[in-house]
Amino acid sequence: MRLFQAIYGWFDRRYQVTPLIEKNVTHKRVPRTLGWAACFGGLSLLIFLVQVFTGMLLLMYYKPDPANAWDSVTFIKSNVSMGWLVQRIHTVSANLMIVMVLMHMARIAYYKVYRSPRELHWVSGVVLLMLTLVLAFTGYLLPWTQLSYWGAKVGTEIPGAIPVIGRDIVQWMRRGEAISGETLGFFFALHIWIIPATISAFMGMHFAMIRRTGISRPL
Amino acid sequence: MSSDKPCEKGNGRRGFCKACIGAMTAASTAMVGYPVVSFVISQPSRIGEDKPLEVPIDQLTLGQARYEQWRGLQVIILATADGPMVFSASCPHLGCAVGWDTADSVFRCPCHGAVFTAQGEVVSGPVSDSLKQIPFEIKDGKIIITA
Ligand code: HEM
Ligand code: FES
Repeated sequence: MRLFQAIYGWFDRRYQVTPLIEKNVTHKRVPRTLGWAACFGGLSLLIFLVQVFTGMLLLMYYKPDPANAWDSVTFIKSNVSMGWLVQRIHTVSANLMIVMVLMHMARIAYYKVYRSPRELHWVSGVVLLMLTLVLAFTGYLLPWTQLSYWGAKVGTEIPGAIPVIGRDIVQWMRRGEAISGETLGFFFALHIWIIPATISAFMGMHFAMIRRTGISRPL
Repeated sequence: MSSDKPCEKGNGRRGFCKACIGAMTAASTAMVGYPVVSFVISQPSRIGEDKPLEVPIDQLTLGQARYEQWRGLQVIILATADGPMVFSASCPHLGCAVGWDTADSVFRCPCHGAVFTAQGEVVSGPVSDSLKQIPFEIKDGKIIITA
């Protein structure tokens, strides 16, 4: 404890972290009327961070090509020490993240706190919801199971109903006519880099806006 | 109101709370740390390394090689007309992994160009030793490598 305090003190004297923590965390005041429903935004963020972390771990063994994808996931689940746990946390949390985001959205809608000056919180929030769904959808293909294959097949078929450009969109998403190794590579890129980076940027905006306007108190 | 005052020297309620938070932090660190560390230090090539390597013969194709990992070694199983052969892929020159060239029916080393026959004997290159053969037995239609 002494040692910890000495080390912390050394950094604190130079970087003044304690006042920052006090201002933003321990002494931060929030309206008394905020209830437990105000936790869901924070929980969405927490689960996202869990996903980033467990995702990095899975990436140590996952192989994104049709010949090896399924084997590598099976290998993680049955051979890697604690692999079953890490894999399960990542899958279950993917679903939980969607639930949390929807609960968060429900609270915002119920208390009508999307109204001026918070319209853009809602707009950035809708983008976050979309990105969360794309994250889950692209991740679903990666284990390359029958379910993954048909999930991706049916999911990418949907824009085909759009007149004129529909077929082109389907082909663009699949990187060709059918679900193939190209699709897997593309979804992999989206899932581990492109969407997480974009979602982080939008979360940053979302939080900055909330800091700007302050959180609203339910009437 | 008196109970809101900080207590002396970490005793009393505040001290108790701090101790609880400390214990909980330690417990959660261990709970997260143990799975993470054991996950990260697992090595694919070491998992199941005490088991013999078994390859069903009917999965081999005549004139083609199959690459396996066994006890940290790269192993090549080659299906020849006279039956299967098993080699260590490690080149006797400086240890690069040789590969089977199906078109020319020779092993080639990518590093300094050594070439070996299907029996592992040197054809050309900066080497004098043949490829190391690995002993195996055939049982129930499977190649079994134990030694
Ligand atoms: C990845 C998804 C999301 C994350 C991580 C996130 C995070 C947060 C956090 C931490 C807050 C602070 C207050 C609270 O937690 O309730 C918040 C507020 C807010 N969020 Fe989100 N959010 C997400 C998605 C959404 C969605 C889908 C919507 C609506 C379409 C939305 C609209 C809002 C609005 C309007 C506020 C302001 C609430 C107020 O001032 O009381 N957010 N968000
Ligand atoms: S290591 Fe194989 S030729 Fe040098």
